[in-house]
Amino acid sequence: MGKFIGVVLAIALVSFSEHSLSADPVAGEARYQESCINCHGPAGKGVASYPKISGKPTLYTKEKLEAYRAGIKLGPNSSLMIMMAMPLTDQEIDNLAAYLETATYK
Amino acid sequence: MNLWSKHVVPVVFGTLATLGWSISAQAGAHGGMNIPMIKATTLMEGLDNPWDMAFLPDGTMFYTEKCKGLSVRMPNGSVNPLYGMKGSTGYASSGDDLFCEGQAGMLSVAVDRDFAKNQHLYVYSSSTKYHGAGCKTNFERCDGNIVMRFKVGADLKAVSDRTDIVTDIQYKPFESNQPFGGPGAHNGSRLRVGPGGYLWVTGGDRHRGICPQDPKLLCGKVLRIDGDGMAHPDNNPPVGFDKRIYTYGHRNVQAIDFRPSDGKAFTAEHGPWHNDEITALVNGGNAGWDPAELTAGRGACPDKYCGYEPNQKEGMDPAIRAAYTPMSDTRFKDLMPATWNNNGYSQGTGSAAFLKGDNWGIYEGRLAVGIMGIGFGGTPAGQRIDMLSITPDGLGINNLTRMPLGFSKRFRGLAMGPDNALYVAVDEGEIYRVTAEPIK
Repeated sequence: MGKFIGVVLAIALVSFSEHSLSADPVAGEARYQESCINCHGPAGKGVASYPKISGKPTLYTKEKLEAYRAGIKLGPNSSLMIMMAMPLTDQEIDNLAAYLETATYK
Repeated sequence: MNLWSKHVVPVVFGTLATLGWSISAQAGAHGGMNIPMIKATTLMEGLDNPWDMAFLPDGTMFYTEKCKGLSVRMPNGSVNPLYGMKGSTGYASSGDDLFCEGQAGMLSVAVDRDFAKNQHLYVYSSSTKYHGAGCKTNFERCDGNIVMRFKVGADLKAVSDRTDIVTDIQYKPFESNQPFGGPGAHNGSRLRVGPGGYLWVTGGDRHRGICPQDPKLLCGKVLRIDGDGMAHPDNNPPVGFDKRIYTYGHRNVQAIDFRPSDGKAFTAEHGPWHNDEITALVNGGNAGWDPAELTAGRGACPDKYCGYEPNQKEGMDPAIRAAYTPMSDTRFKDLMPATWNNNGYSQGTGSAAFLKGDNWGIYEGRLAVGIMGIGFGGTPAGQRIDMLSITPDGLGINNLTRMPLGFSKRFRGLAMGPDNALYVAVDEGEIYRVTAEPIK
């Protein structure tokens, strides 16, 4: 029983660390269509010199967006991403990360 | 009477009546105006950043994919991969010196005017073959973009006899402190065969401040050359310039085409968060882009490039940017003023083609301009194709109509096909065939 509870707690901790309880992928898609799609293409597939950003764990996307929002450089086109991430709220970042995790271009 | 019958039905009928009157009135007022039905169908999909297309009279279509290589689509729809880049597979042959990075890669393609006799095809790509002792920093010569001539096999299944006819177009080898600061920035390019069969090559400034106004470096220039890479004898650049140069002072030209009525060359190029420009070229003229630091009243700029100043970190009024580093600087006496400047916005003009054929009705002869859509700092993204009616002197437009496609994408490559349809490559991976037919 103790082992079982431990496993459940561990799973819960991992889940809480990667997913916000309130992350809304539908709202994330709507926010993505507002501005991100212009460079990264439909469903985050990556176009031209802009990289693919779909299919990544939510934690990855969240950390990247939070870093850009804080003005931290991560790669050669950081200035663009810093500018785009500045106005994002915590909720919008969660939503975007949730949407991009499973977004696929058909 | 319920809500529906009381309010909605009269409104609907009223609207229909108004529409009916309006349509009748329009038909009467415009009697006989030939407005075509424009329709886009998907010709190819699942491609990897298709960049450009070139056609043979029977509809055979050569096309490039930026990080893969050159292929040909036969009229029956089958595809022959012809010449790959380093790391590509499935091609009949390949060049290990060809690479893609950032905005660079295998970009444009053009068919020789005498293809029926010589089977010649031209392709622009980034290459490591001619770096030589250069390319050690961003502030020195780096010959990293080339134009290749191939001989296409009679069965269109392979190419041979690669000859590099231009080997010294500049390339940006390293990251710099700019918004689009990665290596491989601003290469142009569009290859098109113009009047007389000469090859036109458009370039970019590769994020080097001195490039566009430099007399010898082939960055920020439009070249007019023959099939061997030699200068057109009538090119008239200023004294001391490389004779292959037709015009200079450009930023990043990804479009060139020739007006059917008089053969005049028009380019489209990206602006730096202000003023995408269409320009009517004048032999030896200056497009007016000069992003060098310590000039025109400017001080030092990040990595000696003032292209995104005075503020490259935040959005600001495009007009203020334009005043600081103009796309068309009026201090140049040989300035070619812009035909159109996208209302002061930069949204990324990707390619352009004059609409040919009377099937285009009132739009025949207009310049179709692909806008890729770059929405930063309050600029609307604006992914679209505009159809510009250009004045006879080439110095302005009469009007502009958005092509009614019903969708928005990153419109990278536009080329007219032999069937008078417009072929459109988008970064998302499709090539569309856009037709115009009379409305019956």
